[in-house]
Amino acid sequence: MTSYLEPTQTNLLVAAAILVVLLVLGVWGFGRLSRSAIGVKLRRSLSLAVKSLWLHKLRAFLSVLGIIIGTSAVISLMAFGEGSMQDALDDIKRQGATNLIVRSVKPPDDSATAQRSYVTTYGLTRRDLERFETFGDSVLRIVPLRVFPTEARFLERLVNARVIGTTPEYADVQKFQLAGGRFLIESDNKELLNVCVLGSEAADKLFPFEEPLGRSVQMRGFDFTVIGVIQERMPTGGSGGSQAAEEFNNDIYIPLETSVARFGEIISIRSSGARMNERVQFNQVTITVSDIDKVRPVGDAIKSILEMEHGTKKDWAVTIPLDRLEEAERAKTRFTNLLVLIASISLVVGGIGIMNIMLATVTERTREIGIRRALGAKQKDITLQFLVEAVVQTTIGGLCGVILGLGMVYVVPIVWGWVASNPLPAKVHVPAIFLSLFVSVGVGVLFGWYPARRAARLDPIEALRHD
Amino acid sequence: MAAIVRVADLVKNYHMGTQTVHVLKELNLSFEEGDFVALMGPSGSGKSTLLNILGCLDKPSSGSYFLGDTNVAKMSDDQLSEVRSTYLGFIFQSYNLLPQYTVVENIELPLLYQGIKLDDTTRDRCIKLAEMVGLAERLDHRPLQLSGGQQQRVAIARSLVNDPQLILGDEPTGNLDTKTSIEIMQMLRGLNQSGKTIIMVTHENDIAEWARRVVRLRDGRVESDTRNDTRGTVAV
Repeated sequence: MTSYLEPTQTNLLVAAAILVVLLVLGVWGFGRLSRSAIGVKLRRSLSLAVKSLWLHKLRAFLSVLGIIIGTSAVISLMAFGEGSMQDALDDIKRQGATNLIVRSVKPPDDSATAQRSYVTTYGLTRRDLERFETFGDSVLRIVPLRVFPTEARFLERLVNARVIGTTPEYADVQKFQLAGGRFLIESDNKELLNVCVLGSEAADKLFPFEEPLGRSVQMRGFDFTVIGVIQERMPTGGSGGSQAAEEFNNDIYIPLETSVARFGEIISIRSSGARMNERVQFNQVTITVSDIDKVRPVGDAIKSILEMEHGTKKDWAVTIPLDRLEEAERAKTRFTNLLVLIASISLVVGGIGIMNIMLATVTERTREIGIRRALGAKQKDITLQFLVEAVVQTTIGGLCGVILGLGMVYVVPIVWGWVASNPLPAKVHVPAIFLSLFVSVGVGVLFGWYPARRAARLDPIEALRHD
Repeated sequence: MAAIVRVADLVKNYHMGTQTVHVLKELNLSFEEGDFVALMGPSGSGKSTLLNILGCLDKPSSGSYFLGDTNVAKMSDDQLSEVRSTYLGFIFQSYNLLPQYTVVENIELPLLYQGIKLDDTTRDRCIKLAEMVGLAERLDHRPLQLSGGQQQRVAIARSLVNDPQLILGDEPTGNLDTKTSIEIMQMLRGLNQSGKTIIMVTHENDIAEWARRVVRLRDGRVESDTRNDTRGTVAV
């Protein structure tokens, strides 16, 4: 439907190439046209327009300033908007469009029980997991994970890490890239090995000077041997409220069975100074289905299973990234429509500016119009002259606006980088460039029409008498 | 000689509020090909209105105007533009050159609206005309760099570029001093002698004496219509 380009040098070259091709085609077409009678007139009007605009360079520039600003705003805002949107979409896609995420949620009405019983029990169980496995072929993999907020230690260095007990397939789900070593394998789980894989940030903090592979990290009193380090990767944003942001770089992965064996079923969490103990078998289960069409049926099936198993206790939640993807895409469409609206407003404002100047020009050049009429110019010749003048102005304005807008797409993120900590993503929206050029021409025709007609309808005798 | 211009029962009324001003009252006139006519009369006599109608810039309220064999009184705006472009040349009191154009470009201007291709041939023709009116050295000058007389000579060259059947002058010497006026009138007489039909409005007797025929208007009617026999004996 739409195409996106990263603001890279190659794409700038592509855009430039497209423009050059259009220009060559335009000149060629114009050459063909100029052999016909209407072409002669058009070319003459064009050179007339350029001449008279050149005579009032500053005024012409000021009058198209509205168009320039409007167009450049459209191009750059569109690029930043698309960039941010694309960022969010990529984020959701990283979670996997064929994934279903089932999480354990602490029931809100359980806080009183928690105080009484000291240990809160809720969430997904092994039994649930076994039920999920009955889906058969439509489910590719089921990846459970347990999360322990834990201090990890190497020598005197401490890191507040998120220790995640999981299965080897988690690497596939999250599409991890290893910087060194390997991820967990099946035998680590079976043999309950004390091994761990570090996120890039955890690795940097724990081993700023040493090679982490093969060294031991202490967590909750156990020593874990580092077998792999994961490359730095983009965190997923905490979009949609129900899902917390995931900062993968500070994670430490250990085999699921090892986590059960060493740390037990109880996960203790310190929150607001108080220590809370929770009995959770799995914090999250990620289910990958074989086909994108099966996401919803499987999701519904999971919901009905969980409703059956857990009854009224609403201690689970199913997140379907695909839903959010579609929602985000709808939001993007709305956003684009809004930008188009803003763009049309700014271009209308620019057009009114053009009309204003053109009316002034017509008044100022009344005598010239009279002279031309006396020497044989028809009404349509005068119309054409002033219309072409307006269109030339807005077209040049549109071109300047596109160039300025593209410049802003490249420069603003750099300046943004000096001030803000997070980057400003930008994606040049190529159709927007051509659309705004097209609209600029249209604005010239629309708002140049009335002044041009007014010039043409002047009474030649009156016009000749005008000072 | 054949009548190149013939107006019959020409009436022009202007409506000013509730009042109707009768500027031309059933005027009947004809001018022959190759004639040199001076239209005279006090202000309000209708001479300018007549010139505007003859120049196809204005339409009569009623009556007919034959330019050659065609009645142009009922023509549309576009058709009138075409007539001006093809058959008429204009010389104005205030020269009416375009200040942003050079001498040659100003001379070329009427050709712009003839739908013909402007090339070296047309350019050469403009240059020749400029040379004819004695501006060979000033082809690339702009009007503001020229004296009044020179500007009017550019205007004369411009009025000739479309090889018109009829040249209309609206007080062509009105803004010029005596010496320059004489130069311009000599030029017009030269054109007339080479066969051009010229009709000009003037209110100066010594300018009118250059013409072959003087038509005086008063209150929208012809007051007198005389032929100059003293033509060529005007003191220089």
